[in-house]
Amino acid sequence: MQIITKNWDKINPLDISSYIRQRGYEALQKVIRGWTLEQVVAEIKKSGLRGRGGAGFPTGEKWELAAKTKADQKYFICNFDESEPGVYKDRTIAEKNPHQILEGLLIGAYAIGAKRAFICINGHYEKSAEILKIALEQAREKEFSGKGILGSAIDIEVKIFEGAGAYICGEETALLNTIEGKRGEPRLKPPYPPVSGLFGKPTVVNNAETLSNIPYIIKRGAKTFSQIGSSISPGTKLFVLEGAVKNKGIFEAPLGISVQELIFNSIYGGGLTSGKEFWFAQIGGASGRLMPKNKLDQPLIYGNCEYPLSCGSILVVDKSVDIKEMLFSWASFFHRESCGKCVPCREGTYRLWEIAKRLKNNDSKGCDQKNIEDILWTLSNTSFCPFGNFAAIAWGDAIKMFRKEIFN
Amino acid sequence: MSLQKILLQFEPKPENLLPALKEIQKENKYINRENCLKVAKYFSLPLAQVYSFASFFDEIKLKKSGKKIIKVCSGGPCMMKNSTEIVRQIELLLKIEAENDAHPKYKLEYISCRGLCDRGPIVMVDEQVFEKVRPEMVDDIILNYL
Repeated sequence: MQIITKNWDKINPLDISSYIRQRGYEALQKVIRGWTLEQVVAEIKKSGLRGRGGAGFPTGEKWELAAKTKADQKYFICNFDESEPGVYKDRTIAEKNPHQILEGLLIGAYAIGAKRAFICINGHYEKSAEILKIALEQAREKEFSGKGILGSAIDIEVKIFEGAGAYICGEETALLNTIEGKRGEPRLKPPYPPVSGLFGKPTVVNNAETLSNIPYIIKRGAKTFSQIGSSISPGTKLFVLEGAVKNKGIFEAPLGISVQELIFNSIYGGGLTSGKEFWFAQIGGASGRLMPKNKLDQPLIYGNCEYPLSCGSILVVDKSVDIKEMLFSWASFFHRESCGKCVPCREGTYRLWEIAKRLKNNDSKGCDQKNIEDILWTLSNTSFCPFGNFAAIAWGDAIKMFRKEIFN
Repeated sequence: MSLQKILLQFEPKPENLLPALKEIQKENKYINRENCLKVAKYFSLPLAQVYSFASFFDEIKLKKSGKKIIKVCSGGPCMMKNSTEIVRQIELLLKIEAENDAHPKYKLEYISCRGLCDRGPIVMVDEQVFEKVRPEMVDDIILNYL
């Protein structure tokens, strides 16, 4: 089943007409010419689409909240600040079919009545930004964006905003702060962005992959979409397979698929790299849980589940890997990227990194074991935003599962 | 290009503060106090806000650094493609220690994921990116690009 990757090999990302030939911008024309704002929101709500950035919040509900909030100005934002370690799906969408994101963004902006939209790109993604700038220019020439879209009275000005490579700026309120020229620190919620977001105005922030699903839903109907994948979280998802797996890269699969199938089915991972023995899989980047062998059959969905799918990356770790190197990799990442706003996260990630260095050098102190537990508890229970909790997830699992290997 | 000329490319709106700072850095390698003051004036912001904003990002430099910086990705996928061995090689070759600022000319840093996992492990010398680096390539990179 392909929604997002469907036309990737038929499209020249630098040429809008190749996208139009694959029925691109039909969905935008459909809504602008014949649908009311409420109809668009209702259709997306009915589709059951959930955010693909990680949190999995129902997209239609976000749109509805922003659409119903009264304001003189509204904003629609595409979150392209992809920076979770091990994930490069959004970058790949932009490199293969940038107009898909743009069309979804324009439909979203129309649906909530936003006249201004931003695509916020990770500062390290210079190539993606270049491609999207060209795409945007071409869309403007064809009157798909800008003033008087397709001859109507609707104006949607889209602007590309390039960040400066900070992981926390993928958090939506931190992202909004950066656009406002403030430090990229998360805001206290509520109010949520659909009520009070960019410059205090109603704002929807959607992930680039989420938006890439919108044209399909409008063209084929919410019902068709809702029948794909899992009933709780319908549709397909881009999965990124890395580590000790034969076929690495990006694979589109229906939600509800198991990790077992993703790793071993020949149309996806095709099994483990030869000579490697499976140890565990990390689901959802550096902030993801560690899945042992006996849990591999669990379905990957958005909603209540033991192993959150998050942004969709799967790192297959084999038995030749040193768990202390992994602990160092996670701790090093979180200590570097902690924004420093709250003490539990700023200090906790720093101390965890210090301990990780000691563990790596086989130089750990007697008190480290107890301290790790204290730090992990504090990170998960007292941090200001989810980042602190993320920093504790993989470590928590590793300490539970591999205590012997870590403290030998 | 003069600072004023760079600034004039941007409307003095909050959303242009980061793009303007990045552009100034591209031209001057770092943003000194004098230029921060000019930016603050242009955007009608207090100097403190410009500083607090600019200093938030690792990528924005407020001080001159004469050092060559070698960066190695510490992400899981790059690590599983042997980035640890690459770090060890660089440490041996340059007689430095990762994340230690002591050497007068070089610094070895870990960096966060650049979304290039499919082309990892990733090594950078200043802004130059090297993909699919194998330990035996380290000598070459250091010799030719440092």
